Amino acid sequence: MTPKNSPSRTELLQGTLDMLILRTLLFGPAHGHQIARHIQRTTEDVLQVEHGSLYPALHRMERKGWLIAKWEMAKERNRELKYYRLTPAGKKQLVREESRWRQVAAAVGTVMAPVRGER
Amino acid sequence: MNCWNWFRSRRIRLRERRHRERELDREIEAHLELEAQEQEESGLRPDEARFAARRAFGNKAIVREDARAVWTAVWLERFARDVKYAARSLRKTPGFAVVAVLTLALGIGANTAIFSAINALMLQPLPFTAAEQLVRIYSIQKGMFNTFANPDGPSVLDVRDFAQRSRSFQKMVAYDTWPKNVSFGESAFQPEQMSVGLVPAAYFEILDIRPIIGRLFSEDENREGKNYVAAISAQLWRNRLDGDPSVLGRKIRINGEPYTIVAVMPDVIPPWVEPGRHSEIWTPFPYSPDMWSESGRGERGYAVLARLQPGVSLEHAQADLSVIAAALAAEHPVDQGVGVAVKRLADSRVGALRPMLYVLMGAVSLILLIACVNLANLLLARNSARQRELAVRAALGAGRGGLVRQLLVETLFLSLIGGAVGFACADVGLRVLARVHPENLPQLGSVGIDWRVLTFSLLVSLFTSLLFGLAPAFMGTRLNLVDALKQGGRSGTPGRSSQRVRSLLVITEMAMCLMLLVGASLLVRSLVRLQGQNLGIRQDHLLRGRIYLPPVRYSDPGVRTRFCDGFAARVRALPGVIEATVTTVYPPNNGWTQMLVIPGDPVTRIQDIPSAEFGVVDQHFLRTLGIPLIRGRDFAESDGATSPPVALISEEFKRRYFAKEDPIGRKIHVGPPRSLPVAAEENVTDDVDVEIIGVIGDFKNAGLALAPQPQITVLYSQNPLVNGGFKDIVIRTASEPHLVESETRSQLRALDSDLPLAEVQTIDELIERQVGGQRFTTVLLASFAAAGLALAVVGIYGVVSFLVAQRKQEMAVRMALGASRINVLWLVLKQALEMAAFGAVIGLFGAWAMQRLTSGLLYGISPVDPATFMGAVSFLLAIAAIASAIPAARVSLIDPAGSLRQD
Repeated sequence: MTPKNSPSRTELLQGTLDMLILRTLLFGPAHGHQIARHIQRTTEDVLQVEHGSLYPALHRMERKGWLIAKWEMAKERNRELKYYRLTPAGKKQLVREESRWRQVAAAVGTVMAPVRGER
Repeated sequence: MNCWNWFRSRRIRLRERRHRERELDREIEAHLELEAQEQEESGLRPDEARFAARRAFGNKAIVREDARAVWTAVWLERFARDVKYAARSLRKTPGFAVVAVLTLALGIGANTAIFSAINALMLQPLPFTAAEQLVRIYSIQKGMFNTFANPDGPSVLDVRDFAQRSRSFQKMVAYDTWPKNVSFGESAFQPEQMSVGLVPAAYFEILDIRPIIGRLFSEDENREGKNYVAAISAQLWRNRLDGDPSVLGRKIRINGEPYTIVAVMPDVIPPWVEPGRHSEIWTPFPYSPDMWSESGRGERGYAVLARLQPGVSLEHAQADLSVIAAALAAEHPVDQGVGVAVKRLADSRVGALRPMLYVLMGAVSLILLIACVNLANLLLARNSARQRELAVRAALGAGRGGLVRQLLVETLFLSLIGGAVGFACADVGLRVLARVHPENLPQLGSVGIDWRVLTFSLLVSLFTSLLFGLAPAFMGTRLNLVDALKQGGRSGTPGRSSQRVRSLLVITEMAMCLMLLVGASLLVRSLVRLQGQNLGIRQDHLLRGRIYLPPVRYSDPGVRTRFCDGFAARVRALPGVIEATVTTVYPPNNGWTQMLVIPGDPVTRIQDIPSAEFGVVDQHFLRTLGIPLIRGRDFAESDGATSPPVALISEEFKRRYFAKEDPIGRKIHVGPPRSLPVAAEENVTDDVDVEIIGVIGDFKNAGLALAPQPQITVLYSQNPLVNGGFKDIVIRTASEPHLVESETRSQLRALDSDLPLAEVQTIDELIERQVGGQRFTTVLLASFAAAGLALAVVGIYGVVSFLVAQRKQEMAVRMALGASRINVLWLVLKQALEMAAFGAVIGLFGAWAMQRLTSGLLYGISPVDPATFMGAVSFLLAIAAIASAIPAARVSLIDPAGSLRQD
C-alpha cells in the first residue's frame, strides 16, 4: 500500500500552499529552498511548512503548466539549482486563488464577528 | 494495440521516470545542503545543522512517493496492479471464477439473444414512411377477435363501402396472394409454383413504395382482360433475370399466360405483410364484373391495408368503421353479425406467435434474474470467506479505500470477462435461432445482436456484482479488526444477517427455477400430445405434391378430370408406389368449408345452416390414406361422370347430422339453402345433390389442435362445379417416400411440360412444419429451464458448502458431544431442503399466476395441471437435495478432535 500523509493535513494545506508558492514566484524565479525560506519569513513562522511537502506541490504545478522549471547556475553558490518561474497560466491561477481566498476569509470573518461582540 | 509498440512505449516511460527520480534526488540534496549551510551560519554545529535541515524537510521517502504520484498517473499504475492482483486471486479460486463467469455469460447471452430477436421481430420500426398510419382491417364474427389466431378478411364490397363512407382513411385497398405457375423466359419452360400478389397500384401507394424502374399499374389494368402486366421484386430481377437493364417489356408466363413486366420494385416489403407466402411478383387485382354485384358481399377473406388520415387515431378509425359495419349489417343480411377490427400493421407482424414470444421473454428475464441472484450469492460467500484476509490486510495498513478499490476491480474484472463470454454466447445463440427458426417467422433468419440489449444485460449484471461484491467490502472494512482476526474460522455460526440474505437469495432462485420448470414441462407435454395424436390415417410413407391446372388450357371440368385420372394412373404404375390419389382432402388441414342442406331439417337463420369440411377426391382416396370404412361402401370405378353423384361422410358428420337415423341412402344438397341470402361463391354448387353411400373414420381436418370436424367427401369426376384447378396428389410408397419424387415430376412433365409439382413433402414433414413454432418455443424454454436449474444447483451447492465450512466447529462440537454423523448430515440437509421447499412454494404461486401467459400455447393440458406442478416441485426438491448432499457429506467426514484442535 502507498504510504500516505494524514489526508486531512495535505488537503487542508494544498490550496493554500499552492497560493503561497505562486505568490512567492510573483517576485521572480526562485529555487525550492528560497521558496520555503520566503514563505517561512513572510508568514513570520506562523505557518510551519514542511520543506519536503513543497516539492510534490512544485511538480504538480509544473505539470499543470502554472510553472516552468530549469536547472541554472546559482551565482553566489557556484552550483546548479532548479529554478521555478511563473507562467501566464500560473499568474491567472494566482488571481483565481486569491479571490477565492478572500471569499473564504470574508465568510469566516462574518461568522466569527458576533462571537467577539458577545464577549 | 500492437504488442511491440506497447512494450517500447513502456520502456520509454520507464526511462523517463528514472531520469525524473534522479533529478528529484538532486533537488532534494541541494535543498538539504542549502538549509544545513544556513543553519550552520546561524551558529549550529555541522552535524546539528544537517539534522535540523532534515527535520525541517520532513520524510524524504514520502516526498519522493508523492512527487512520483504527480508524474505518473498513479491511479493507472494502481489499477494495473489491482487487475494483476484480481487475476491472481481469481486464478487461485478457479472454481469460483469459472462458475461466476459462466453464470454471467448465460444470463447475458440468453437475454441478449432473445431480446435482440424480439426487438427485431416486434419493436423495430417498419421500413415505411409514417408507418404509424398504416393499419390492417379484419372482419370479425360477433366480437371473437381477441387474438391474431383466426383473423378473417372482409369482402371486396365491404371494403369499397368502408372506403366510401369513412373519413378516417387516406386510402384503403383489398389485395390477395395466390400460388401460381410461373416460368421465366419464353422459350425454356421450367415452371415453378410461386406466390403472386394480386394488388392494385394503391397497395404500393399506401406503403409509399415507388418502382426502381418502370411504373405502377394503371386503374384500367385492374379490369379483367387488361391485367396482363407484372411488377417484380429487385431480388427476382437480379437473381432470375440477371438484372437485365431492359427488363421492362419482357414477358414472363403466369399460369401459362404471358404477362409484360412494367416495374421493378425495391425489396422493402417484409414477408408478413402479404397473406400466405412471400410474393416476389405482383399483378393487378382484376376485379371480375360479378365481384361488384351484391352477390359477392359474402365472399370474405381478403387482406386489407389502409393508411389513416394524418392525426386520426386508431380508436377513432375503429369507431368510424364499427358504425359503418353496423349499418352494412342492417342493410345486407349476409353481413349480419359481422363486425370490423382495425389493427396497426406493426402489431400484426408476429401474428399468432405473440404469446410464444412473450413466454420466451419472461423465461429469459427469469434466467437473468437467477443469474444475478447466483452471482450475488457467489460473491457474498466468497467475500465473507475472505473477511479474515481483508482484516489482515487492513491490519497491515491497507486503507479502506484500497480494499474497496481492490474488490471493485476484482468484481469489474469478473463482470467484463463474463460479459465477453456472454457476448459470444449471444452470437452463437442467434446463429442457432436463425438455423432453427420456425417457418412462420422468416424474419428470425437475419437477426443480429442488438447492442442496446447487450449493454442493458451487461449493466444489470454489473450492478448486481457491484452491489453484492462491494457490500461485504464495506462490511468487511468496517468490522473490528481484532475480532475478525481472533475469530478466524473459529466463530460458532456465521453472521445472522449475511446468512439471512443468502437464504433469501437461494429461495428466490428456487422459486424462479420452479416457474421455468413448470412452463417447460407444460410445453413439452403439450407438444408430445400434439405430435403423438392419431391423425385418423396411416401417416407413414405418404408423399404429397400440389398441382394447379390453369383455366387457360384446362377450362373444361371433363378435361381436368381426364388429366388428373391420367396422372394418378401413371404415378400408380411407378415402381415403389403402392397407391396414389388425386384429392383436395388430407390431414391435418382441409380448409374448405361448405354449407349444406340436409332434407327434413329446415333452417331459418343463417347462423343455423349446417356446415362441414368438404373436398373432392378420386376413387383411390380411402385406400391411399388408409382411412377405415365404417359402414356402407367405398367409391367405386363404376361411380362415373354419368352415374348419380355419391358421397362419403365421416363419423363426426353422422354424429352431428344423423344422430338417430341411418345416413346411407340419404340425399344431401351441398350449398346453402336457396331460401336464405348467402354468399355468391356458394351459388356455384347450386346443383350439387349427392347421395351418402358410406361412413368413414374421423381424421384431423381442422388442424392438429382441434378435434376432427364433420367431413363430407365427393368425387370430382361427378361434380364438375366443384372440380377446380387446385389439386394435390398423395402417394403411398413402399419405401422412403422422397425416392419417387423425381419420377413423379417427370410423369407430370410428360403430360404437360408447363405444370410444376409444388411443395413436395411427406405428411410427416407437413405435421412437423405445423408444430414447428410449438417445437421452437418448447426447445428454447426447455433449454432455459435446464440453464436455470443448472444455475440453481450451483447456487444451492455454493451456499451449503459455505454453511458447512462455517459450521464446521459447531458440528465438531456436536459430534464430540455424541451426535452421530447422520444427525449432523441431516442438520445441514434439512436447512437446504427448507430453503428449496420454501422457494418451490413461492414458485408454485408464480407458476399459477403466469397461466394466462402460457394457456395460449398449450394443447390438451391445463396451464395449472396439478400433475405437472407436483412433478416440477418433486424434481426441484430432488435436485436440491442432491446438490446439497455433496457438500453436506463433507460434514460427516469431519474428524472432531482434529477440527477442534485446529486454529
